[in-house]
Amino acid sequence: MPEEDNSLNVTRRTVIATATFVPLAAITAAAQAPATALSAGQLKTLEAFIDRLVPQDENGPGAVECGAANYIDRALAGALAAEKGAFLDGLAGVDTLARSAHNAAFADLAPEVRDELLTTMDNGAAAGFPNARPFFNRVRRLTLEGMFGDPYYGGNKNFAGWDLIRYPGPRLAVAPEDQRMSTPPKPYRRSAYGTGANNGR
Amino acid sequence: MAVNLKPVDVAVIGLGAAGGVAVLPLARAGLKIAGIEAGTWMDVHTFKPDEIYNNVRALVTSVPKAKREIPTFRTGNEMQARQGANAPMMNAIGGTSIHYHAQSWRYNPWDFKVRSETIRRYGANSIPKGTTLEDWPVTYDELEQYYDHVEYEVGVSGRAGNIAGKIDPRGNVFEGPRKRDFPMPPLRDTDFTDMMTAAAKKLGWKPFRGPAAINSQPYGGRPGCAYHGYCDRGGCHISAKNSTAVTTIPEARKTKNLTIFDKAQVTRIVSGNNGKDGKVTGVLYLREGKEYFQPAKVVLLAGYTYENSRLLLLSKSKAYPKGLSNNHGQVGKHYFGHWDAQAGTGVGALFPFDLNIWYGAIAQNVTVDEFADDNFDHAGLGFIGGATIQVNTEKHPIGAAAMSTWGRAPQWGSKWKAFVRENAGRWVSSYIQANTFPYENTYLDLDPDVKDPLGDPVCRITSGPKENEPRQALYAGQKMEEWFRAAGAIEVTKAQGGGGPALTTHAFGGARMGDNPETNVVDRWGFSHEAPNLGILGASVFGTAGARNPTLTVQALAWRTAEHLAKNWKSLSEP
Repeated sequence: MPEEDNSLNVTRRTVIATATFVPLAAITAAAQAPATALSAGQLKTLEAFIDRLVPQDENGPGAVECGAANYIDRALAGALAAEKGAFLDGLAGVDTLARSAHNAAFADLAPEVRDELLTTMDNGAAAGFPNARPFFNRVRRLTLEGMFGDPYYGGNKNFAGWDLIRYPGPRLAVAPEDQRMSTPPKPYRRSAYGTGANNGR
Repeated sequence: MAVNLKPVDVAVIGLGAAGGVAVLPLARAGLKIAGIEAGTWMDVHTFKPDEIYNNVRALVTSVPKAKREIPTFRTGNEMQARQGANAPMMNAIGGTSIHYHAQSWRYNPWDFKVRSETIRRYGANSIPKGTTLEDWPVTYDELEQYYDHVEYEVGVSGRAGNIAGKIDPRGNVFEGPRKRDFPMPPLRDTDFTDMMTAAAKKLGWKPFRGPAAINSQPYGGRPGCAYHGYCDRGGCHISAKNSTAVTTIPEARKTKNLTIFDKAQVTRIVSGNNGKDGKVTGVLYLREGKEYFQPAKVVLLAGYTYENSRLLLLSKSKAYPKGLSNNHGQVGKHYFGHWDAQAGTGVGALFPFDLNIWYGAIAQNVTVDEFADDNFDHAGLGFIGGATIQVNTEKHPIGAAAMSTWGRAPQWGSKWKAFVRENAGRWVSSYIQANTFPYENTYLDLDPDVKDPLGDPVCRITSGPKENEPRQALYAGQKMEEWFRAAGAIEVTKAQGGGGPALTTHAFGGARMGDNPETNVVDRWGFSHEAPNLGILGASVFGTAGARNPTLTVQALAWRTAEHLAKNWKSLSEP
């Protein structure tokens, strides 16, 4: 009979085990480097892009320093492989826009010039780049994921994204004091998968 | 050729929130049950406090069958329907109860007799145009004992507002009378829930802590909630949250009367092949590429709303040329998706201080019920019904950073960064669920173009425009604005009235319950008017939505149908 054991059956032992230990899943240290999707040139364009979305400044590391490009690179080789083609087209579109406007690669432009081009993309006003706006929004969304997601996926380096917005980290058991408004919980800089090197997918 | 399996008494299609409950009274009554489930057991170790896993990539809820048959959606009869991106349904032992918020509400007594009560209080002209609204054939009072059974079996925490007519203002004073209190007190209070409770009281409202099928203390051999903040679209890592996979299904298995057939995708319910015409004889399913036929004296269909209508329409036979139990053309009719005020921009608020709602659970909420159901005078308002308004704990970092800036900052760059640094932990959205009714222009059928890999059409949703629901959602949204202001918010999103439901995890109807076989698929006990040994479970049978989460009502009805079957086994099962 095709019947399997109830793996959800919680015995006293598993309750205690899961509630006590910090890493929920077993830490599966990746033996080899995770797959990536972007060439060095594409990565450079992407970093020049997201560096303007969330720059490094007096409020701390930006998207590049947080490893958001790394997150996106890995995602496109894994969970988001289906959108890799469209994403690469978008990156190429950014460079084409830069060359037609300023005769230079996007990554070689000054920050203010990049801001100008990104603004036209954001406004859907980038000449000859019909998908500029959806692509801009997609990069912005993935940058948020790379900055504020679990470091397991390759971004949020040193928990800088979580520190920025004072997200106190994924505790497995939360005490009443940790839900107080007057005394915010102490930052708990851990990945859901262990102390937190960027090993994941 | 299908492999013929040993006959059973009852074949239950789907072991989710509904089927997972129904198997318990059946098994206790000694009936032999085949639980046929497209998914399988989920491993508790895959339930992670990980927003990318749960919310961004929806990996708890992404299961092959559901993904292969995502419904299509359109807003009018003449339009081409487009397939949705995400499956609203789930296939697993435990089903959607694995990842639901576990808000476990009883419906208001009014929900069961909206039509007659509306006519009585406001006159026949107040019934919204185009509705196919009927009173349920069941009243709250009849369902009370089944609500009670389920609350105590799965473990629901909460505070009673009405025990046998005795009102307790700490609970929901608008609820129907319950025989006894909840088995557990509500999930714990926080500074945030205290703040929102005080603000609602300042407005003269009667706020309370909502009911949750989450242990607020150890119950049923399972621990109390750890409040870790990854309840939404995630499974519970310590099984403090009910899913039928950790409550009623294991209980049913103890009797040895339930055999689970997992990874088994039911393709047809078979009828009319032997015995009297009109009876169902069993179910065909695929498991790892092989086809099986499970003969059964009675079949209980307990998939998700979209799956139920679809499977009935696909299961044609000599006796049912338009689909099983559809000789009156009612399968797929009287469908409605929960209308809520979140469909547009929602009503969110920004506060000038940190809220610290990162942890907790959606079910660790504060709710206001005065603007739901018929709890207020609708004279002159132009709509009936209303909505519950609610604020919740549990916020995740990506979602928090993807916040509105209310025009105070741009959407990117250093100024944006400074803005989210200050404010990502200072905003909150609301959860507004409206009473929703069935309409002529809203129904399910089979999509003429989009098919699953087996070549079977997927379910198509047609949901035309309404007047009543946007008005009630707008009204409730404005009350939510007031509530946020009273709590000290410095920015509040303006209520929009919602854009209406699309594919939803709150989908109702398509196999409505009612005494009249001309307008309903199942009778007052949940059995088909046409195929007497076919029962249908789930929100498929609902006639109105209620202004709150449907699962507990689904489960109370499932229990009732199963108990009715066990008590009337001879007459319902005879060949």
